[in-house]
Amino acid sequence: MEQSAEELNKIEKKDLFTSGHRACGGCGQALAARLVADASGENTIACVATGCLEVFSSPYPDPSWRIPFLHSLFENAAAVASGVEAAYKALNKGPVNIIAQGGDGSTADIGFQCISGMFERGHNVLYVCYDNEAYMNTGVQRSSFTPLGARTSTTPMGNKTRKKNMPLLAADHGIPYVATATVDDFRDLQRKVKTALSIEGPKYIHILAPCPLGWGHHGELSVQICRLAKDTGIFPIYEIIHGKVSNVRKIPVKVPVEEYLKLQGRFKHLFKKGQPTPEVAEIQEIANQNIERFNL
Amino acid sequence: MEKLPLGLVIDLNKVVPYKTGSWRTLMPVNIMQIPPCTHACPAGNDIRGFLRVLAEKEDYEQAWHVLARNNPLPATCGRVCPHPCEAGCNRRDFDSSVAINCSERRVGDYGLEHNLEHKKLVSGRKEKIAVVGSGPAGLSCAFHLAKRGFKVKIFEANGEPGGWMRYGIPPYRLPNYILKQEIDNILRLGIDLECNVKVGVNIPLDQLTREYNAVFLGVGAQKGLGIDVPGKDAENVYTGVDFLKQVNSGKWMEIGKDVVVIGGGNTAMDCARVTKRLGANVSVVYRRTRMEMPAITAEIDEAMEERIMFRYHTNPVKLVTDEGRVVGILSVQMELKEPDASGRARPVPISGSEAFIPADTVIMATGQAVDYDGIDVQTVDNQWMYTNEHLMTSMEGVFAGGDAVAGLETVSLAIGQGTRAASAIEDYIEGHVESSLAQPPVVYSRDLNTYYYNKQKKFNKEAVSIHTRLKNFREIYPSFDLKDIIEESKRCFSCGLCFHCGNCYMYCPDSAVKISPSTGGYEFDLDFCKGCGLCAKECPCHYIQLTLEK
Repeated sequence: MEQSAEELNKIEKKDLFTSGHRACGGCGQALAARLVADASGENTIACVATGCLEVFSSPYPDPSWRIPFLHSLFENAAAVASGVEAAYKALNKGPVNIIAQGGDGSTADIGFQCISGMFERGHNVLYVCYDNEAYMNTGVQRSSFTPLGARTSTTPMGNKTRKKNMPLLAADHGIPYVATATVDDFRDLQRKVKTALSIEGPKYIHILAPCPLGWGHHGELSVQICRLAKDTGIFPIYEIIHGKVSNVRKIPVKVPVEEYLKLQGRFKHLFKKGQPTPEVAEIQEIANQNIERFNL
Repeated sequence: MEKLPLGLVIDLNKVVPYKTGSWRTLMPVNIMQIPPCTHACPAGNDIRGFLRVLAEKEDYEQAWHVLARNNPLPATCGRVCPHPCEAGCNRRDFDSSVAINCSERRVGDYGLEHNLEHKKLVSGRKEKIAVVGSGPAGLSCAFHLAKRGFKVKIFEANGEPGGWMRYGIPPYRLPNYILKQEIDNILRLGIDLECNVKVGVNIPLDQLTREYNAVFLGVGAQKGLGIDVPGKDAENVYTGVDFLKQVNSGKWMEIGKDVVVIGGGNTAMDCARVTKRLGANVSVVYRRTRMEMPAITAEIDEAMEERIMFRYHTNPVKLVTDEGRVVGILSVQMELKEPDASGRARPVPISGSEAFIPADTVIMATGQAVDYDGIDVQTVDNQWMYTNEHLMTSMEGVFAGGDAVAGLETVSLAIGQGTRAASAIEDYIEGHVESSLAQPPVVYSRDLNTYYYNKQKKFNKEAVSIHTRLKNFREIYPSFDLKDIIEESKRCFSCGLCFHCGNCYMYCPDSAVKISPSTGGYEFDLDFCKGCGLCAKECPCHYIQLTLEK
């Protein structure tokens, strides 16, 4: 399925994920889910793991999905998607876009072995991870994607470990396409989804999706926070095509991490009377490492 | 037996979505606001309006109609206005302001090239109105009244209409044919014009107030004031006003080799640059420094480019005469002390610093006053006309505007006052009370989300080389390219009005922004909007704002 550059860069708005869902105001994941659904089009099956997305989008009798939707357990969205793909193959039907979707908990912690298996077996499935950096659905518990310093209900003094680098782990499986994206640049996000769907084999897209409730910011700041995550170097934007890092988004003007941290309640304890504590310097160091590593 | 589906099946066509709009405490609204350019424009031009038409439709004709709705003299203003709009432009805080003045000139010229005509709003009212003076204030007032259907007659003291634009502004800044075309276009609305009639001298003002329902005085400030020094009555000493009037009437002036212009205002700059083009060595003598000069900055810059000598801190004490003709001026150096009543530094002479400057002609451009000959209205400090808040003078039914009221000001301010006076006259005749509704708020750059704009270089007008332009009185800025101005119009931020960027439409996590089937614009679906404010935050031009839920 070769697509022209014009088609890839076109913005899609088909409302395949419609209004009426129960997400909080300014939810980054709801926005990301719609952008992904619209980019992938009607010929798509969504296999969604348990989590916020599944809870707020699929209550009976008025689901928000206008494409076939399959809810699975917390851990096995990738395995279910693999099964759907195998069934289509066995019935000799298709082609159809199969997208497994999950939050950061189901991707990096609970469902990791299913995803790893799916990548390893080489199913033609796109896995989309909505990264909101904690278990938001169950009450903001720490996950292995929670960044250094962030306060969650299980790390009230701030998280002591670094975030797991899932995109690189996925890429090390030797899959053909890995990309990172944020909700603020919808053109880029939709282009990556369309690019991924045009490639045969397992694909992985990692989307930073701010959670106003868990991150402690006002809903209107969701897009701005994503923008700052990119411009500080905390969340690098790149694609890994057949093991090669490419299309790295260069930072136009580098921003210190304080700007990113100050907007969010989960990092509030890092500033005592407006003055940053030593942990801020550590977070800046992470951002600097990213900038150096990906040549942002 | 009928085969039943396994489990529950939802028919998506019959789904009634859950209305999340009930969660909302804040709601988004579209609020159209005044952009700072229009706010800063004394004539109140719809700048955003015509720039958006250029940028979106690339339609010069429509842009001209948008612009000419308020301002009947766009080609003139595009040449002579010191463009306070560009100083107000929000883009200045981003890279540099939009070249509004150049765009206005190009749109105005397009209107003249294609003979576009003003449209009348209503026709056939029987009330008659007399407009005294055909300067920018008078023309603007007559234009707006004629559009509203009144019968308007303009009385002009000079041989040709245009007032100070015709007789004061030299043709290298404003060519006569441009002004004439724009005035003819205004007169085509059915306005009568009678030249060579000076109200108060040839025809008494009382007669006008009796014969007409209302009178507008736009007489300007066309009496030149000199300074009181010995020798000021010599025959080769002129006031700036008289000098410019004679030159612009086409009279040949014998000015000799050395000319001294006294003063630092726009008239002084015009006199200096005109005499330079007549072949003289010109020096401008001013008591203070360039900082305190009241002239338009661009005018001073252009005068300096044209090799005009500026003598600052210099005050003439005596004009040295020989057989009734000036041969030079005796001047003294000044130093600046604490500010005086006008806020400018007070010059004090330094003793023993007298110097002699030779001169074949001396032009004193040191002030202008209203010619009150036969016009008996109340004044402020014996200088400018008194008007109330509706621009009515002390005489019932006599309105006034322009330089005679505001002091020495710009063409655009006079146009603005003419516009206001036209509304006031209509209200006066109809017996209405002037509407005093609050204006929408102004958008400033702190309200904008400039992330979505790209940095782009400003359009720069290029002047003819100094060598060429000093040889004649032709315009020093040649016409601009239509395409360049379209590109420039795309730099407009469209502050306070939607320009269909689609951010709200794409960013709404609830898909609660829809495309309106009737207008094609964006509208909020308040059944589903949760009031998160993402659209308002990411709206580049501050058109979307949050208010309390109703």
